[in-house]
Amino acid sequence: MKQEEETFARLVREHKSTIYTVCYMFSKDEDEVQDLFQETLINMWKGVKGFREESKIDTWIYRVALNTCLTMERKKKREVKSVPLTMDVNFFEDNDANAKQARQLHQRINQLAYVDRAIVMLWLEGMTYDEIGSVIGITAQNVATKLFRIKEQLKKM
Amino acid sequence: MEEQYFDEMRQQMAALKAQLDKQEIVSDHLIREIMKVKTKDIRSTKNMCIVATVIGLITIPFNSITHTWSWTFSAVTGFMLLFCLIATFYIHRPVENLNYMTSNLSTVAHVMAKFKKQYDNWLHYVTPALIIPWITWACYEFAWKNASEDVNPFLLTLPIFIGGTIGALIGYYYHCKAVNAAKSILEQLEEK
Repeated sequence: MKQEEETFARLVREHKSTIYTVCYMFSKDEDEVQDLFQETLINMWKGVKGFREESKIDTWIYRVALNTCLTMERKKKREVKSVPLTMDVNFFEDNDANAKQARQLHQRINQLAYVDRAIVMLWLEGMTYDEIGSVIGITAQNVATKLFRIKEQLKKM
Repeated sequence: MEEQYFDEMRQQMAALKAQLDKQEIVSDHLIREIMKVKTKDIRSTKNMCIVATVIGLITIPFNSITHTWSWTFSAVTGFMLLFCLIATFYIHRPVENLNYMTSNLSTVAHVMAKFKKQYDNWLHYVTPALIIPWITWACYEFAWKNASEDVNPFLLTLPIFIGGTIGALIGYYYHCKAVNAAKSILEQLEEK
């Protein structure tokens, strides 16, 4: 296996839950999550050759995933043959406590505007304002202002 | 109260990720399929322009050989097609250079806004400025200059208008496709 193939497989396995979470928060159903997940992996694969280990991996993963969720045409023909994700749970349909909790979080976040969704997700993940700013492309000060407004919006829901 | 609300959201996020960590999610089969994808993008609008230019550059001189129209008209048409092709490359270049690793959401929004503006300017200003004189000249060359006296020249312009309409519809379809893609991205970023 080539170096880049090993790096790609490792990154995917280590960060699969982060990638899935982003796709889940920007989707309406499980099929859309699967499409976005596969498309994100394709974009990661396309970008992995230029990836420098010294750059922060979380930031890179979020950029790829968020840009994919933003730019992917939802009805686009798949570039790879459809390979289902290996999942025992469906957060859109299952009725156990964990799925209900995930669904409640999805409903809250999904009502926000695209950029606001991205900001609040990154904040909930524990990223600093500087890190959030570097993913979104705004200053830390701007992140703080936006986050204050988003929190007010969320409280009213 | 406020902190409790957001703590609950944090816990929900942590629980979601913990549950996902237990899942395999990506099989070896999926990873292998992904790695088969070559690093190429589908650039239908640009590819369409290249095909149209190549066809034009081949067929237009043929019409001059058969004396349907003059060599000057062929040369100007050829230059016009090349100009359109270069402009298409120029407008598409920043979008194709968008790097998923280094581009943040603001950069994506900036590039898409510029792309849409250039496309709209092209449709509203450049297209009429090129097409109206070209069609007029084409009608003169095809229907009046070399036509025999017993044929109504207005009838001869019909193929030009039919061909022009088909070409315009195809061009407008690709224009809308490119602009709508950029527009939907911008709408998502600008939604309140």
